[in-house]
Amino acid sequence: MAKYRDLANANVSGEGRAEELGALIDALLPVLVDRLAETGLGEIEVERNGATVRVRSESLGVPQAAAAQSPSAAPAAALSSVSAARKRAVRATAVGFLTLSKEIHVGAKVAKGALVATVEVLGIPTEVRAEHGGIVAALKSATGDPVEYGQEIFLLESIGEGAK
Amino acid sequence: MIKRVLIANRGEIALRILRACRQLGLEAVVAYSEADADSRAVLVADEAVCIGPADAKQSYLSAPAIISAALATGCDAIHPGYGFLSENAAFAEAVAAHKLTFIGPSAPILEKFHSKAATRALLAKHGLPTIPGSDGVVADEAAALDAAKKIGYPVILKASAGGGGRGMRVAQDAAELSKNFSICAQEAQSAFGDGSIYLEKYLSATHHVEVQIAVDSEGTALHFGERDCSLQRRHQKLVEESPSTALTPRVREEFLARAAKAIGSAGYRNVGTLEFLVGPDGKPYFIEINCRIQVEHPVTEVVTGVDLVALQIALAGGARMPMRQTDIQPRGHAIEFRITAEDPAQNFQPQAGEISAYRSPSGPWVRFDSHLYAGYEVPPYYDSLLGKLIVWGATREEAIARSRAALRELEIDGVATTRDFFLGLLESPLFLSGGVTTSMLDDVGTAAILAAAPRRSGDQAGA
Repeated sequence: MAKYRDLANANVSGEGRAEELGALIDALLPVLVDRLAETGLGEIEVERNGATVRVRSESLGVPQAAAAQSPSAAPAAALSSVSAARKRAVRATAVGFLTLSKEIHVGAKVAKGALVATVEVLGIPTEVRAEHGGIVAALKSATGDPVEYGQEIFLLESIGEGAK
Repeated sequence: MIKRVLIANRGEIALRILRACRQLGLEAVVAYSEADADSRAVLVADEAVCIGPADAKQSYLSAPAIISAALATGCDAIHPGYGFLSENAAFAEAVAAHKLTFIGPSAPILEKFHSKAATRALLAKHGLPTIPGSDGVVADEAAALDAAKKIGYPVILKASAGGGGRGMRVAQDAAELSKNFSICAQEAQSAFGDGSIYLEKYLSATHHVEVQIAVDSEGTALHFGERDCSLQRRHQKLVEESPSTALTPRVREEFLARAAKAIGSAGYRNVGTLEFLVGPDGKPYFIEINCRIQVEHPVTEVVTGVDLVALQIALAGGARMPMRQTDIQPRGHAIEFRITAEDPAQNFQPQAGEISAYRSPSGPWVRFDSHLYAGYEVPPYYDSLLGKLIVWGATREEAIARSRAALRELEIDGVATTRDFFLGLLESPLFLSGGVTTSMLDDVGTAAILAAAPRRSGDQAGA
């Protein structure tokens, strides 16, 4: 849980062959995210077996450029799996049964503050509102699911400063 | 029959209930707040559910969150532990309304025994001796002065809805009573939402002795001996032991039998505790009932061999009493020390922070009920209990000697604890003689007890 929250505040990018990059990320990412928080450094880069992973604190700005620089198709494939870390989770605000708002589906545009779901607590709906604007990237829960407080409902991909 | 239990509490008691559930072959889900995501009960549990943020009002004290969590996780029963919602009749009623079993007395029984003044009157009717006091709640200051005149000073003012030592004030004379009455009523109103006050004669130099009882749905009531909880700090218990040094064998037998009979006939069900004060005359006077499993229940478990949490769950599920009074034969002597994250040198100020090193005591007849582990972060939001050291001996002397060894073995670094205070206590002639009364800390002073603690150099060398 704690690791996840840290990830949400860090930006990750990498280059290298997909396999090596994947292995490196699996092994190092949690450590790097912790180290980033501990040291207060803005960015940490690690190179191993020809693959490079860079973790940058979000407070320094989104390294969109770093991802775009990927020189070949293979790293790009790996990057798409990495990019999950850039997505923000919309979380349940109570423990109970979930109802997603009708307009929530993968690809849907969500405005900051929009009512995206309700959690029914003993028959009383508790609102879940989007803290950020973005595009729904992946659903993590469905209508009717029991959810706990803080559980991920879906992931929102940022669409930049202009998104409302 | 109960199949799946939501454990709606935290700390050591969540772990204790989880163990009982597993022993009984029941599934268990631990409900936790965001601040307790890394708690031992959550780590050990097969299933856990986050019910809200750190603030207890939105998690452990939120009836909707807890009941919703039980429904979302498919539980058919809720164990409230102690504190929080454990004695809340409205919560028990809501639990039952959702077709869930409340592991404790039912809502009507919690309601019936909610008022201390009414309970005292009820149990007096069923044969329990009570301390002379006002006839129920006193309406105003004039009525309080009138009642105090009849009772005789000193008197103690108590909040009818109070508990945990809060909402009490002693008055030595009429002037002090006048001064304290409105303060006490205001405190009671803000702390418990009920400003009702009653009066009792204040007994100085008393032992606090309580009787563990259990009653099945048919009204079969048993007692499981007594616990002496005289060592207190601001009316909060620090050490509990069984048997009590304040009762003679003759008084004890009659007293325990009378307590069980009274509580059964008064209509109480499930496990509970009847609290008494034993004055200098050696006679117990009933003061209040606790309608829950208590922090100090292991003391009774150790001397009787009865698993009280398992019994509580069975009785809540509708089971008949699985034993007879003659089956319960307390043996030897047990002492419990409440190890809290409090600094005795700083007036027991609560501490929070990371447990940097942890070593639990062990060995024959040593039990340590604790949720600690090295690296655990003690959150600042809840009570400061870190663990309960329960030690048994064939005699009180043996239990004390074994307790010294166990306390020396215990190491908790990172926060101040009550460990050294207890090591000092075990050197105190008053404690060793069994003469501890509820005013000991005021009389002897915490500093003197701490000063008596043996130096730690030997421990450090072994660490």
